[in-house]
Amino acid sequence: MNITNNIFMQMMLIGLLLCSFAVSVFAGSVNQTNEDFIAETFADNIPKSKVVWIKSDLRPAIADILGHEYAGLRIRYWQQAQRTAWILEEIGKESPITFGIVIAKGKVELVKVLAYRESRGGEIQQRAFTRQFTDAKLSEQKLDRHIDGISGATLSVRAMTSVVTLALYLTKFINQIE
Amino acid sequence: MNRRMRRLHRTLGAAIALFVLLVSITGLLLNHSSDLKLDKYYLTWPWLLTHYGVGDVQADAVFLLDQSVISQIGSEIFVDAKPITHIQRPLLGGVSLDEVMVLATDDALILLNSDGEFIERMGAAAGIPPMIQNIGLFHGAPVIQTREGMWRSDFMLDKWEPISLQGISWSLPSPMPKSTQNDLIKYFHGEGVTAEQFLLDVHNGRILGSMGVWLLDILGILLTFLSLTGIWMWLRRPR
Repeated sequence: MNITNNIFMQMMLIGLLLCSFAVSVFAGSVNQTNEDFIAETFADNIPKSKVVWIKSDLRPAIADILGHEYAGLRIRYWQQAQRTAWILEEIGKESPITFGIVIAKGKVELVKVLAYRESRGGEIQQRAFTRQFTDAKLSEQKLDRHIDGISGATLSVRAMTSVVTLALYLTKFINQIE
Repeated sequence: MNRRMRRLHRTLGAAIALFVLLVSITGLLLNHSSDLKLDKYYLTWPWLLTHYGVGDVQADAVFLLDQSVISQIGSEIFVDAKPITHIQRPLLGGVSLDEVMVLATDDALILLNSDGEFIERMGAAAGIPPMIQNIGLFHGAPVIQTREGMWRSDFMLDKWEPISLQGISWSLPSPMPKSTQNDLIKYFHGEGVTAEQFLLDVHNGRILGSMGVWLLDILGILLTFLSLTGIWMWLRRPR
């Protein structure tokens, strides 16, 4: 009986070790390179990238959306027909998370976590979570819907909500000026 | 008995006199710390800063572009002693174009304006050839060396043509200028150690770490003995 218990305990320990290893690998992963995301979005018919300069007219609104000043003077995007792709970075808790966002006809078509570098909160990469953003629109510089949080990933969820809102806002801005 | 006690009292007194003086003087100074502005006066003696673990900042890479010192410390890029942006890869070099500084990592170019403000990070998705090994200039035009070959662009940096050129001035690492090094130390560790902090640590023995605390404990015990032997002799004095 004791031998059976020992073997059971050893297997449990090995299982736990393997799980923690898998989580640590998962936590710092690059899911898709930026160029692969753009190639996939436009089915290899990639439009030439453009930039939007973050000048004084845009800066306050962006700071309002992100909750802090944007750390850059311009943001690159790819646009074809009515689809616009953005690659944006935002710090979750300590490290930058890279998001790929596609906006089509003023709505979110797709949100992907391209690189996740935080040690915790990796659940935001799951399709089940990112699906909540599909078809989200802008409503007075906010998303038109509530996004369910994830326990232990509050800051990562906030970062994703902010950058999706920013992508919608910037898409509206560039469409207005073009 | 009284003579033996007097001898013990004298020996104890001589042994701890220096420590008592040190504790008394530092105590007096600390008592008037605000008036003497000891919290505003910074000590920057190198041995002291090293002792407090605030003596040095080691940059991973340093490049000089025009009048600016570009350095990488951990995952952070600094222009002079100002933090600009985070990068995930080692900094390989940098060149200065008209009004833009272009820094290279193996997977991207990082653009800064002439004031050192972060403009944008351009990676392969923005048309930058991957696997960069170095960046340089050829007659004012940016050139990058990648594992696949050499590429040249213009100030827009969004179109790169494969080339094979000689005489490119490649970006080379530089030693960190002393003044920038000092500014970085100030950024990471502040102005130095305040005189108040130093005196406090001398006063309570923590300047010597845990050993100093034990020394102060021994001093306290010896002072107790000194008091007791003094009282003993006073009570047993000839009347």
